Amino acid sequence: MNSGIRFAMWTLVGLLGALALATIALHRGEQINALWLVTAAVCIYALGYRFYSGFIAAKVLALDPQRATPAERLDNGRDFLPTNKWVVFGHHFAAIAGPGPLVGPVLAAQFGYLPGTLWILVGAVFGGCVQDFVILLFSVRRDGKSLTEMAKAEIGAIGGVVAYASVISILVILLAVCALIVVNALKQSPWGTFTIAMTIPIAFLMGLYLRRMRPGRVLETSAIGFVLVLAAIWGGQWVSQAPAIAKYFTMTAPALAIALIVYGFAASALPVWLLLAPRDYLSTFVKLGTIALLAAGIVVMHPTLHMPALTKFVDGTGPVFAGKVFPFAFITIACGAISGFHSLISSGTTPKLIRRETEIRLVGYGSMVAESMVAIMATVAACVLEPGTYFAINSPAGIAGQLPEKAASTISAWGFPVSAVGMQALARSVGEQTLFNRTGGAPAFAVGMAHIFSNSLGGQAVMALWYHFALMFEALFILTVLDAGTRVGRFMVQDALGHAWKPLGRTSWYPSVLATSGFIVAAWGYFLWQGVRDPLGGINSLWPLFGIANQLLATVALCVATTILIKTHRAKYMMVTLAPLAWLVVVTFAASWHKMFDPDPRIGFLAQARKLALGGESARLIFNNRLDAVVTGALIVMVGLILIESLRQWVGILSGKRAAQTTESPFVITGLAEERV
Amino acid sequence: MRVLRLLRAVLREIFDEAAYERFCIQERLPAGRQSYYEFLEQTKNTTKQKVRCC
Repeated sequence: MNSGIRFAMWTLVGLLGALALATIALHRGEQINALWLVTAAVCIYALGYRFYSGFIAAKVLALDPQRATPAERLDNGRDFLPTNKWVVFGHHFAAIAGPGPLVGPVLAAQFGYLPGTLWILVGAVFGGCVQDFVILLFSVRRDGKSLTEMAKAEIGAIGGVVAYASVISILVILLAVCALIVVNALKQSPWGTFTIAMTIPIAFLMGLYLRRMRPGRVLETSAIGFVLVLAAIWGGQWVSQAPAIAKYFTMTAPALAIALIVYGFAASALPVWLLLAPRDYLSTFVKLGTIALLAAGIVVMHPTLHMPALTKFVDGTGPVFAGKVFPFAFITIACGAISGFHSLISSGTTPKLIRRETEIRLVGYGSMVAESMVAIMATVAACVLEPGTYFAINSPAGIAGQLPEKAASTISAWGFPVSAVGMQALARSVGEQTLFNRTGGAPAFAVGMAHIFSNSLGGQAVMALWYHFALMFEALFILTVLDAGTRVGRFMVQDALGHAWKPLGRTSWYPSVLATSGFIVAAWGYFLWQGVRDPLGGINSLWPLFGIANQLLATVALCVATTILIKTHRAKYMMVTLAPLAWLVVVTFAASWHKMFDPDPRIGFLAQARKLALGGESARLIFNNRLDAVVTGALIVMVGLILIESLRQWVGILSGKRAAQTTESPFVITGLAEERV
Repeated sequence: MRVLRLLRAVLREIFDEAAYERFCIQERLPAGRQSYYEFLEQTKNTTKQKVRCC
């Protein structure tokens, strides 16, 4: 394509993006079509990928097609293996895409569609994509080292300890909040509970089928598993209509929490091939298919967004979670904009598969663009709902009211009309007893997704099936995170304890396996239990904690990246990582301060503890709020430590007082240079 | 056609089918129960520690 046509094409993309962005940003009091969001996103991502990632690749990182990657140099046919860039892209995307980009945007939709959308677009292009890209490259140049190893080598021992501690904290809080979302989605829902319960024997069956009948045929097994899950969704309808059976699957939130804690322990201790691996395959199969289906559904149906651009809740009085749009929108949406967790994947299996450095741009930056697009679709799914319906589903009983009539009148008084009768009809149409007080984001997303799907495929008659399909899809995602996360946490604890006493570090020694599994499950189980008993619904306190922990990990990753840029004499480009780092530090500090010290009891943990103490509430609830304040404080101390250590490195190197020693592997020329990609 | 082949390759990699095939070639083993068992044993540690993002 000649340069004139290219210039015209990119100008057109820019103009279209600007028009779409202006439409979503400037329309007030009128409903807009969801395609404007999709168009703005596609154009901005295209421009970001073509120009910004191009600049980073050429100038900041100076990707070298002649440099052999560890996949080539250390090729062992297993962990290290030069792999086609599109294959690595798919592999990386499947690992980074989880429930986060679906739940965060749904919760943040309480501010209206605009804040979340802008943060997703800007955050991804200048933050999340950059983080994933640079960490992947730096890991590739260090033989696939993990983030914690890089933090230790480049920032120092404190960097390594903080990285390790932040990974553990994020895991514990993430697992608790994920489990809470499942609990809130399944409580008093025999259909949903039955479907999700069935995924456990289905995973066992898949594990046995793979091991005994068709060894290695994973795709075929996953397809069979998927058909069985569809049958379970269908069967769930029958179960929910048979009172004698439905009673066994109609569970309260505490009962579900206990079931999940027991499940988490079992999943961590059972052989991988029996539960974890087949569930992971099944979840990936469903995830890739559903994301593609959702994208097609949005384009085909191009629904109208009923949520306004901005709601009155930007002032911090929102019912879904308390706190102003700044800083809370920016920690509520992490995955989809910038997620520290991604840096673990970018420094995990992916760097060992990269065939050539120049392909890192597609894999690192490109995969995050795709993930961000998923977050935009989640925003659409939440905002196609009538605002009254959205708030009825997402408002905890402690705020909107316990009884349907009371909740409907409270929400209507906020300016978002909804009726108890209308909500009852909606609940019936999706096969639920009630949709009031279904906090956590998953049910609202499921209703939105069912709304989109049922209007494009099958009509209202299959609304309930689509709803439970969406619920199953999210719960399957989340339970996979729960399985894998508990196990990873167990390994990290075993690794640490192994330094104190060797047998504890042995992953095959059952006393250690049971003790460390119990420790990790108890840690996230405690926070889950706290969330279940929380009168404000749990999400209000746990999701911001998760957001802060996730952004702490992103801070560690960006500190490592900035340090390496300075050490490799690219300080003039350090703003590429320093700008998102500065933003994250401001957001994390501001959010943490509010969560600890805000005088509003709905926001500040300590204020809530004081209020509970004055009201004579149980000592446990008071303790929980104080514990949350301490955890938030500990996270912020870690941010401070890593920043101070990094600053010492930067100032020392830039002032010439410290030698710029980096741990990059020596240059080796590639033997693949002449091969066509 | 090329796109479909690529898509198949992506799926085979995501679902570890390609990894198993490489294992069989490397170890000169026929595809079957025994070789799959050995493959699972060998990849146990990496699979166990596979992080899944939020």
